[in-house]
Amino acid sequence: MKQSLVLITVDCLRADHVGFLGYSRPVTPFLDGLANESSIFTNAIVVGAPTYFSFPGIMASRYPLSLGRDVLGIAPSESTLATTLHQAGYQTAAFLAGNPYLSARFGYHEGFDQFRDFLEGIPRESPTWALTHSRFAQLNQRIEKFSRRFPWSSRAYDEWYFRYCQRIAARQNLTVDQLRQYPSADIIVDQARSWLSSIGDQPFFLWLHLMDPHAPYYPPHEALAAIGNKQMTARRMRWLNSFWNRSDIGPRRLQRCREEIISLYDAGIYWVDKQISRLVRSLQHFQRWSDTIFVVSADHGEEFLEHGACFHRPENLPEQLLRVPLLLRSPDAAASKINTPISLLHLAPTLLELLDLEIPASFQGRSRWSEIARGHLAPEPVISECGDGGTNPFRVNDRMLPRLLAVRDQQYKLLLRFKDKTEAMYDLEHDLGEQLPLPPNALKQQRIRLLQTARDHVQRARQKRDWDLALLARLRELSYSVRAKSIAPPSD
Amino acid sequence: MVPTRTITLPEPLCAQAEKWMAGRFDSLESLITFLLQEIARHDSAKLDEAEEQIVEQRLRELGYI
Repeated sequence: MKQSLVLITVDCLRADHVGFLGYSRPVTPFLDGLANESSIFTNAIVVGAPTYFSFPGIMASRYPLSLGRDVLGIAPSESTLATTLHQAGYQTAAFLAGNPYLSARFGYHEGFDQFRDFLEGIPRESPTWALTHSRFAQLNQRIEKFSRRFPWSSRAYDEWYFRYCQRIAARQNLTVDQLRQYPSADIIVDQARSWLSSIGDQPFFLWLHLMDPHAPYYPPHEALAAIGNKQMTARRMRWLNSFWNRSDIGPRRLQRCREEIISLYDAGIYWVDKQISRLVRSLQHFQRWSDTIFVVSADHGEEFLEHGACFHRPENLPEQLLRVPLLLRSPDAAASKINTPISLLHLAPTLLELLDLEIPASFQGRSRWSEIARGHLAPEPVISECGDGGTNPFRVNDRMLPRLLAVRDQQYKLLLRFKDKTEAMYDLEHDLGEQLPLPPNALKQQRIRLLQTARDHVQRARQKRDWDLALLARLRELSYSVRAKSIAPPSD
Repeated sequence: MVPTRTITLPEPLCAQAEKWMAGRFDSLESLITFLLQEIARHDSAKLDEAEEQIVEQRLRELGYI
C-alpha cells in the first residue's frame, strides 16, 4: 500500500521555541513526544523569509529569486510537491489559515483537489468611525502636520494619538475570538478531519498551514492558561499588540512588553501543538497513522528585538528568522537527531523519494533521505535569500530589490547585503546571537569559501533561469495588473 | 520622439480586443503597449549580473581571483 503524506507548516515558528529543540517552556508537549519516534533537525534552514520567499523552497524545491525577483510564488505549470503527488494518483487537499501569499493568485492551489485558503471573511481591523470621520480626520491631519515641525512635538503627537486610538478601541470591548485575524488551528484541523473522513483508504497528501503564532498574537484563553498566564484579558492583548506594532518608538521602550508578547506567541504555539495532537488522533482513528509520513516545519521564525526588530520583515536574515523546526516521522524509519545544517530546499525531493516517486527535474534540491536514514548528513553550505526591505510585494515594482543573501555552513555564516555592498560574517559556534561580526579580513579561507558559494548561486540564478516559467508567471501577474488598471480612475 | 514600428494583427482579433477593452484603454495601441511593457519591464538578470560582479570584486580583494 502506498504511504500518505501530511505536511504541517506553522507560520513564524522559531526553532528555539519548541521543546524537542531545547525550549524550556512546555509549549509543545505533543510534538516533543512525537520527536522520540521521528527524525528531528536542529539546524533546518529556510530558503528565504518571509512566507513569499520561503514557500517556493518548501513546495517547489526552488530558491525564491531564481525565476527573477519579479516572480512571486509558484509559476503556472511549475512542478511542486502537490502536482507530483496529484499526478501520481494521490488525493490532495490544502487548508491554509488565511495567509494572502499562499493563495491561488500565487499558484499555491496547483495540484490540490481541494484548496481552501480561508481568505474570505477574514476580519481586518478597520478604523473606527471617529478616526475616519471627515471633520475629525481633517483636524487630526492639521494637528499632525503641525506636530511634525519639532521632534518633541512629533513624539508627543504619536503618544497622544496611540492613547486616543486605544481608548476608542477599548470601548468596542471585543473578545479574543473577535480580535483574532486568522482562523485558529482548531478550525483548520476540523476541516482536515472532515476531509480525511471522506477519502476512504486512498493515498493522500494533506497540507495544513497554521497561523496561530503569527502577529497580531491572539491565542485562545485556554492556551494562555495552559502555559501559566490565566490573567491576560482581551483588552490587554489588544493593547500589547498595538504597542508592539508601534513604529514610532525604539526597541528600548518596546522591550518593556517583550515578555508578555512572547507569552502570547508561545500560547499560539501551544494551541498549534494541541491541534496537531487532535489531527494525529484522527489519523489513528481512521487507521491511517501507520502508513502516513508526517512532517512539521515552518516557513520562517520571528524576531523579538534580538537585533532591534520585531516580526519577520525582509530587512535582515538572522537565525531567529532562518532556523525553523523540522520533524519528519516516517513509520518505517528509526528516530534520529541531525545537527548538520540542512536547507528546506531538500524537503520536497526527500519526501518524494520516501514515497518512492520520481523527483521533478526542475527541483533544485535533492533527496537527502539515504543520509537521514543513516543519521548523518554530509555537510554543505546552506543558502537563504530575499529582496532587501520590500514592504508590499503585491506591487510588482516593490519586488525589484537588491538581494540579501545568507550563506552558512556548520560554523560560519556570511551575510551579503547588496544594497550597500556590505557583508558581515559570524561564528555561529561562539556567537549564535550574531552580535559580534568578525573583522572583514579575518578567517580569509572560510570567507572565500562562502563567497564562492554565493557567487555560484547568483550566477546559476542568472544563467539557468527557466524563462518559460518566468514568462508564464509574468502573464499571470499581468491579469492582475489589467484588472487593477481597469478599476483605476481614468488618467488625464 | 520614440521610434515606432508597424505590426500586422488579424482583424477579427483586433475587433474582439477593442470590444473587450471598452473603457479600459484608449486604443488598441495603448493596450498592446501596456501588455508588452508589463511583460518586458522587469529585468532581474541585470540585477543578478551586478550582484555577481560585487561578489567577484570581493573575491578579488581577498586575493582569490
